[in-house]
Amino acid sequence: MSSHTDATRILGVGILGAGPVTQAIHLPSLARLGHILAVRHIMDVDPTVAESVAARVGAAHSTSIDALLGDPDVDIVAICSPHQFHAEQVIAACRAGKKAVLCEKPFAMNADEAARISAVSQETAVPIIVGAMHTFDPGWIAASEDWGELPEHAHTIRSSIVLPPNARFEDFATEIITRPAGAAPDYSDPEVIKGALRGGVMGLAIHDLPLIRRFTPDFKDVEVLEARHVRPFGYVISLRTPTRSIELRAAMNNTWKPEWSFEAVSDDAALRIDFTPSYVQAGSAVATLTQGTRTTVHGPFEHNGYEGEWRELAALATGEKQPPSAQSLIDDLTFALDIAEATVTHVDTRNAVVEGARA
Amino acid sequence: MSQYTVRATPEAREAGAITLSVASLPESFGPAGDYDNAHVHAIAGHAGWTTEAARAISAGARGVVVVNPAPEDTDDLDDAAQQNGTVVVLDQRWASNPAATAAEVAVRSMAGRAAVLDVVATAPLGTDIGALIADQLAAVVRLAGPLGNLKLLDRRQNGYTATAVLANGAPVALQGIISDARPASVNITMLTDDGGARVTLPDPVAAWPATVKVTGPQGELLVPTIYESAHRTTWRRLKEHLDAGTLPSDLRQFAAVSEAIASLT
Ligand SMILES: NC(=O)c1ccc[n+]([C@@H]2O[C@H](COP(=O)([O-])OP(=O)(O)OC[C@H]3O[C@@H](n4cnc5c(N)ncnc54)[C@H](O)[C@@H]3O)[C@@H](O)[C@H]2O)c1
Repeated sequence: MSSHTDATRILGVGILGAGPVTQAIHLPSLARLGHILAVRHIMDVDPTVAESVAARVGAAHSTSIDALLGDPDVDIVAICSPHQFHAEQVIAACRAGKKAVLCEKPFAMNADEAARISAVSQETAVPIIVGAMHTFDPGWIAASEDWGELPEHAHTIRSSIVLPPNARFEDFATEIITRPAGAAPDYSDPEVIKGALRGGVMGLAIHDLPLIRRFTPDFKDVEVLEARHVRPFGYVISLRTPTRSIELRAAMNNTWKPEWSFEAVSDDAALRIDFTPSYVQAGSAVATLTQGTRTTVHGPFEHNGYEGEWRELAALATGEKQPPSAQSLIDDLTFALDIAEATVTHVDTRNAVVEGARA
Repeated sequence: MSQYTVRATPEAREAGAITLSVASLPESFGPAGDYDNAHVHAIAGHAGWTTEAARAISAGARGVVVVNPAPEDTDDLDDAAQQNGTVVVLDQRWASNPAATAAEVAVRSMAGRAAVLDVVATAPLGTDIGALIADQLAAVVRLAGPLGNLKLLDRRQNGYTATAVLANGAPVALQGIISDARPASVNITMLTDDGGARVTLPDPVAAWPATVKVTGPQGELLVPTIYESAHRTTWRRLKEHLDAGTLPSDLRQFAAVSEAIASLT
């Protein structure tokens, strides 16, 4: 009998794409979980990157997805390539019969891709999770066990993000070997603003949209009241559903002081969660839950949501836990796509009004 | 020996915690034995307060305190106050907080570099939405100056959403939240490229201090905390003006807020 059927053995991890997220987020998280998981294979289209990142963890390396998926030592596949490759790679990993798949956010770029993933996930029964790390954060999970009916009764939801440059936190987490070059976009061009807002929703807000959706039963009826760009990169987006008021704020700038908070407020209860910054291993979020005049604090716990993802994947791969329904992943994605689309339309409409007024 | 005698309407006394404020400044103020000839008249700021305040001026008041003034045209009252040398001070929920002075310096010094201004007002169930908008705007205008393109986007039973821009074009987002689960307060956050200012102004029902934090490349500074309610600060300001014979700019500042609110409807 091969060691692959031994339930107590260490699970092998294969990673597609070895950029900053793999280097600074996943490898350090996996380094804390050596008793259950080991990196066996690193694939990147850039052979130098694949080889040198693999060497850090003593893993095999390759430049082809088939080589990684065909590697019998790989039980769990993490997809950390640029977003346009996610859907195709998730599908291939499921078809290869792997034990579990982690797809970095975003899960897919349109509803069509999402539907294809859902079909393959049902057909192959391979568990998939999306790297919305805050949903795996012990602070969030502890709050969810205590918040009672707040998701049904919240009327106001806020997500606020202030992010120092990524490099600041990557450098606290590892020694990066590749870094994408930054560009200086022309923000006088409405198309650039629209692209920045869409990118803001699909790249940044998307981390917490699953959290917001948890508190928004009528998420399908979301509409944009106002959407504005924050310089150099960020957004102020006001949303409404028939029962919820939702505010999204983000500013990526040159400050040293990060903030990443989620709030949900009802008539008589309020939740505030302060997350630790991306990349660093700074423990979990702290959740502050107020019900009436009583305030309960959950956390901090020792690990963050990234490590939470890997613990979840190990539990899914061994069958210890059941995967989330593909429908909930698709709903999360559709919610994000709807908001991104409505945001861009809103900017278009406003520009048309301004143009009309000038004409 | 008290210097200035005070008369207050029951409504003003209640809303402005006047008994406590006056008792906490015992060398400066005391109750009026001769009610008709009190130096200071305190009134509540419900609709029509400008007429009532003008009447107090005609009756010879040297000082007038208006508690929670509702938006109203203050031009005539301001003229009357100037002519008679009467000190009219406004006791506003958040804008009158003693920390507003330091917060204003912090916010205005970075307003030209602002990337975004985010303002969240929270108040308990039963709060009138119109009054909450007015209190929030009074605080923002006090700290950041007049706002451009102010517009109410949404108004519900449990809050509202409004939008505006700063002089440099940076977005301003204003939100009101009605809930019993949080202390009533207004949170004002201005972000710049390398830091910003965060201000929390509490309700004057206790002398809990506001927080004013300024963040820059060198770190973060917490401006010294002041354990004095907006009510007491208002009375202390009144005394300083009465002693010095100077007139405050409360009415003129309030005109900007009234104008902003008029533009919303
Ligand atoms: N969860 C988080 O906090 C978080 C934060 C940032 C980014 N992300 C997501 O993680 C992913 C990776 O981010 P990054 O910053 O490392 O991105 P990146 O684009 O800088 O790096 C991706 C790596 O993938 C390689 N690559 C390109 N095409 C590939 C392909 N077809 N197959 C395999 N590899 C390929 C590139 O050579 C590069 O080394 C993105 O999807 C991003 O949205 C998540």
